[in-house]
Amino acid sequence: MELLSYVIRKLIGGIPLILGVTLISFVLMVYFGPDKTFELLSKNPTEAEIAQVRAQLGYDRPFLVRYAEYLKEMATLDFGFSDSTGERVSSILSRTIPVSLALLAPGFVLGNLLGIVLGLVAAWYRGGWVDKLIMGGAVVGMSISFLVVIVAFQALFGVVLGWFPVRGWNVHDLPSYAYYVTVPTLASVFVALGYNTRFFRAVLVEEINRDHVRTARAFGARPAEILFRNVLMNAMIPIVTRILFSIPLIVVSGSLLIESYFGIPGIGKVTFDAITSGDQPILKAVVGLTAVLFVLILIVTDILYRVVDPRVSLTGDAR
Amino acid sequence: MTRINQPHPVLRVDNLCVEFATTAGQIRAVDQLSFSVEAGQTLGIVGESGCGKSVTSLAIMGLLPKPAGRIVDGSVLLDGQELTRLPEGRLRQLRGAELSMIFQEPMTALNPVYSIARQMTAVLKRHQQLSARQARHRAIEMLARVGIPRPDQRIDDYPHQLSGGMRQRVMIAMALSCQPKLLIADEPTTALDVTTQAQVLRQMVDLQQELGTAVILITHDLGVIAETCDQAVVMYCGSKVEQAPVADLFLQPRHPYTAGLMQSIPRIREHKLDRLPVIEGQVPNLAALPPGCRFAGRCPNREDRCVQQQPPLTERGAQQFACFNPWNGPVES
Repeated sequence: MELLSYVIRKLIGGIPLILGVTLISFVLMVYFGPDKTFELLSKNPTEAEIAQVRAQLGYDRPFLVRYAEYLKEMATLDFGFSDSTGERVSSILSRTIPVSLALLAPGFVLGNLLGIVLGLVAAWYRGGWVDKLIMGGAVVGMSISFLVVIVAFQALFGVVLGWFPVRGWNVHDLPSYAYYVTVPTLASVFVALGYNTRFFRAVLVEEINRDHVRTARAFGARPAEILFRNVLMNAMIPIVTRILFSIPLIVVSGSLLIESYFGIPGIGKVTFDAITSGDQPILKAVVGLTAVLFVLILIVTDILYRVVDPRVSLTGDAR
Repeated sequence: MTRINQPHPVLRVDNLCVEFATTAGQIRAVDQLSFSVEAGQTLGIVGESGCGKSVTSLAIMGLLPKPAGRIVDGSVLLDGQELTRLPEGRLRQLRGAELSMIFQEPMTALNPVYSIARQMTAVLKRHQQLSARQARHRAIEMLARVGIPRPDQRIDDYPHQLSGGMRQRVMIAMALSCQPKLLIADEPTTALDVTTQAQVLRQMVDLQQELGTAVILITHDLGVIAETCDQAVVMYCGSKVEQAPVADLFLQPRHPYTAGLMQSIPRIREHKLDRLPVIEGQVPNLAALPPGCRFAGRCPNREDRCVQQQPPLTERGAQQFACFNPWNGPVES
C-alpha cells in the first residue's frame, strides 16, 4: 500500500518532468530541427507556394498548438507517418524496439554481472596480485575504443574464425538468436566491463572496511556470505543507481553504434537514419519516449532503494 | 616466568607476540603477553590507546588484519586447544560459537540492511543446527535476557530503529547466543552515555554469571574495571606491566604507570585542584622502543638500571608487576 501510493505520487510528480523535457526538445526540433519546406518545393518557389507548403506541413500554426498536438501524439503513441518511408511511426517502433532489446539485453546483463563479480573478487583481494590483475585488465579494456573492438571482433569471429556473421539479423528461434547476438554481445561486454569493474570495486572496497564486516567475521561468517550479505547488499544503492541510469544511454547511443556496425534493424539504426534524413515524426517519437523512459527509471530507482535499504523511507518522514 | 596458575583456565594466553609490517619496518604491537581467564571470571585489560589491547583481542580471535599483522610467537589455548595454529576454516567454526567478540561501536557494528532477527538467527543457524523457528525463538529469548523490552517485536526491527544502548544489548545477546566459552568485549560501553553504560555492563555481567562465560573486558576506563572485573591486566606499549585482582590493584598499585593512571582519574577531592594530575611525557614510538623499561622516560621512580634493562615480572602475593622500583605510596595525590 505504501509502495503503491508512492508509485502513484512519483508518477504524478514525473508529469511536469516529462512536460519540461518534451518542451525543451520540441523547441529545439521546431526551431533548429529539419525543415521540410524546400524539399517539397520546386526550384525558385513563389511566396505563395512556400506559404502553401508550410501550411500543408503545419509549420504556420502557433507554437503552443503544435506542442499540444505533440503531447497528444505522445499520449496516444500515434506519431503519424514517417517522412521517408511513409510507414506508421508506431509500427516502426513496435518492429524495431524488440530487436534492440533482444540485441542489448544479454550484453547489459552480462556486463554488469561480470563487473560485480570481478569487483567483488578484486575488493576481497584488494592490494594483492588478483586485484592488480583484474584492475590492469580493466584499464586495458577501457583504453580500447568501442569502434576498434567492434571491428576487431567482427574480423576475429566473422572473418578469421568464421563462426558468427558480421552483419544482419535473421532471428526466428533460439539458435539463430544466439548466432546473431553473440559477437555484438561480446563486443559490448568487453567495452563495458572495464568501466563497470572499476566502479563496482570502488564502492565494494568502501563497504568491505565497515565495522559490520568485521562483526560478521567475528561471528564466523564465510567469505562468500560476507561478500554477499555485508558487502554487496550494503553497496546496492550506488550499484542500482549506476545500472539503471546506464539504461537510457545504452538504448540510445549503444544501440546506435552496434546496430549501424552490425547492420541490425533496431531502434538505434532507425533513429540514426531519422537524424540524417530529417525524419521529424520518428525523431519526435524517439525523443519523447526517451524522456518518459528516464522518468520511469527515476521511479524504479527510488523503489529499488527502498527494497535494498530498509533505512530508506518512502513516505518521506524520518522514522 | 611466573604466572597465577588456575586449575582450568578457559583461555590461556602464553608469551603472545604480535607484529605488524609497516613502512617503518616490523613493529611489535604485543610483546610477550601472558594471562589466563577462568569460566565465569572477568579479566580486564586496561591501557591507553595504542597499547595493544585491541590487537590482543584480534589476535585471540584470529582476526588480525592480513597480511600486515601476524602472531610471531606464543600460544593461545582455548580450553586446551591451540588457536594460533588452527586453519582458518576451523577457526571460523569457533568464532561466534566458542569465542565471541563485541565491539566498541554499536552504531555501526550491525549490518544495516538486515533485521536483528535475520542477523541473530544467521549466527544460531550457522553454529547450532537449529531450524529457522528454533533459532528465532532462541534469539528472542536472548534479547529478553539482555533486557530488551518486547523482544518478540523488537527482533524484527532494523539496527537503525534501535538506540545505541539497545544495539549494544543486541550485540551482547548475539555474542552469547551460542553460549561461547569466552567473550571478548572491546570497549563495549565507551560509545554509550554514562547511564546506559552502567545498565549495559550490568546486563552483560549478569548474563555472563548465569552462563558461566569467561570474559575479557578491554577498556581504558578504570571505573569500568573496578565495577565488573575480577582480575585486571595493565598494558603499556604492548606489554603487561601489572596484573592483580581488582581489589589489590586499586588498593595498592605497584607499577608507577598504574599508579599514574589511578591518580589521573577525576574524583571528588577535599581540596579543589587547579588541574588534574597527568602522566608527564609521551608514549614511546613502537618502532623505536628504548632498551630498558618502556615507561622509564615518564616514570617518577626511575633508576639507572630502568633505562638499561627491562624489568622482569615479579610476583608479590596475587599481584605481578614489571618494575625494579615499585610504587609503595598512596594513590591519592
